[in-house]
Amino acid sequence: MLKNYNLNTKIIRGFIYVFLLVLLVITIMPIWMLIVNATRSTVEIQQGLSLLPSRHMFDNYNILLGRGLNLWRGFFNSLFVAVATTIISVYFSLLTAYGIVVYDFKGKRLFSNFIVVLVMIPMQLSIVGFYQYMSKLGLTDNYASLILPAIASAGGVFFGKQYLESVVIQDLIDAGRVDGASEIGIFHRIMMPLAVPGAVTLGIFAFVASWNNFFNAFILISSIEKYTLPMLVQTLRGDVYRTEYGAIYLGLAITIVPIIVIYALFSRYIVSGIAMGSVKE
Amino acid sequence: MVLENSEGAQSRSKALRPRRFKRNYYGYLFIAPFVIGFLIFGLYPVYNTLYLSFTDTTLLSSESNFIGLKNFERLFADNVFVTAVKNTWLLWILNFIPQIGVAMVLSVWFTSARLKVRGVGVWRAIFFLPNLLMPAAIAALFFSLFSFYGPVNQFMVRAGLLPEAMQFLQNATITRGLVVFIQWWMWFGSTIIILMAGMTSIPLSLYESAMVDGASGMHMFRRITLPLLKPILIYIFVTSLVGGMQMFDIPYLLTDGRGSPSGSIMTNNILMYLKFSSSKGHIGAASSVGVLVFIMTTVCALGIFYFLREKD
Repeated sequence: MLKNYNLNTKIIRGFIYVFLLVLLVITIMPIWMLIVNATRSTVEIQQGLSLLPSRHMFDNYNILLGRGLNLWRGFFNSLFVAVATTIISVYFSLLTAYGIVVYDFKGKRLFSNFIVVLVMIPMQLSIVGFYQYMSKLGLTDNYASLILPAIASAGGVFFGKQYLESVVIQDLIDAGRVDGASEIGIFHRIMMPLAVPGAVTLGIFAFVASWNNFFNAFILISSIEKYTLPMLVQTLRGDVYRTEYGAIYLGLAITIVPIIVIYALFSRYIVSGIAMGSVKE
Repeated sequence: MVLENSEGAQSRSKALRPRRFKRNYYGYLFIAPFVIGFLIFGLYPVYNTLYLSFTDTTLLSSESNFIGLKNFERLFADNVFVTAVKNTWLLWILNFIPQIGVAMVLSVWFTSARLKVRGVGVWRAIFFLPNLLMPAAIAALFFSLFSFYGPVNQFMVRAGLLPEAMQFLQNATITRGLVVFIQWWMWFGSTIIILMAGMTSIPLSLYESAMVDGASGMHMFRRITLPLLKPILIYIFVTSLVGGMQMFDIPYLLTDGRGSPSGSIMTNNILMYLKFSSSKGHIGAASSVGVLVFIMTTVCALGIFYFLREKD
């Protein structure tokens, strides 16, 4: 009986690994094709499939930049918006979360329930009203309209609250108060250093979300020199590059590789961050 | 009353009641930036969208008139809006079922003490990768992969699976299938992480005592795992629904940005964008799409959340 059980387990395990391998291929293949084709010439790509890189990356690069597409400007535009959004979103999310976790003010429960509700509300659907309002303020085609809303990011506060509840040490706060530190000073000098791992996790998510954000930028930004990377991707699909497959793949690879590098460095933070955002311990 | 700023009072109150703190109004100061930011960048735009939906405002003219429910009547008069809503639901449901299914199976395997799958962390990290990649770039990538001269056609023809290259993206069913696949591909890894977090927080002792009573694996899954996962499942369900109803990047950039072929992947947000970017810039009409989808999504999301939660 026990022998049977072990044999069964072995068969199931074998089946599981086969299934996992299939999923692995499905997950990786499109990304791998993208990176490989970014190094192959258009002629090679048209001739047939290959899973091995070739040596035409620099040719593709010259074609890519030779047609009036300023990819690096787009890259730095995206970087600027993403970094600014990340800093604002992390700081204000932790500030708000700290307020909820540490102080017992009236309406605190209502406010934290409100945050949960906000997480579930599709705010993107008010983009038209947002656009018209920003245009009245003269903030369309201006990065401020992409960056400033990060002050009120409900998802960030939700995560920050979960995180701070596990790291806030009341005694340290009390000690700070006895030493005469101001409340905001305690937040800056005592809480912030403690909250670094949470801030990193929060920051990665804010960065990735901003880096990948197409819809808002697409609606709010209009002049070409302010285009962010996802908007340039749309240009890549246009007529100028119609037959330059190698260059198109390279352009797409340049938008994706920075995120893969960030992921390779911080995957631990990212995976635990997703888990923490959803589970209330 | 204890005087806050006198040294003696402070140390005395600390000695008596270290946790007692009189300045809790500071909480309001800490949440104030969020509240102000939300009023300016969150609430007012929602109000403004609602207001615009009752007007005939365009981006070009400075005049705008209150026209009551005309925008909404027009939306229901032609079929496009209803089609967009149906499409969005279809594309979301078809991706959500395999997403939660595959993620559930893998999470059970990954957390099983009997199976002891190796390299769980690595598998999970790889499956999650597509979630972080830029959806706009992913859509452009699949557009290239499935184009007439693209690698998929080359492979299918070489392998004898297709007699000749075909226009995948001119076939409504295949195009829909691709959108569903890409959404699934981007999200099943994220769902695995969330489900596993939920499963590992279930106390092992529950399973141990069930095993003593002779419960089978399937039985334990249905009687212990599923009920205790309920809050997590609701969370996944609701966040996925809210995201799905706003689906834009993938269907917009996979074909011509008008939901082609024959409107098969026209979603709510694509329709809203088309109204917004039409030659006259009918932002009144675009707002009415936003308002209806906003109401539909919020009612469904909050409805599911509260309806399913209260029962516990």
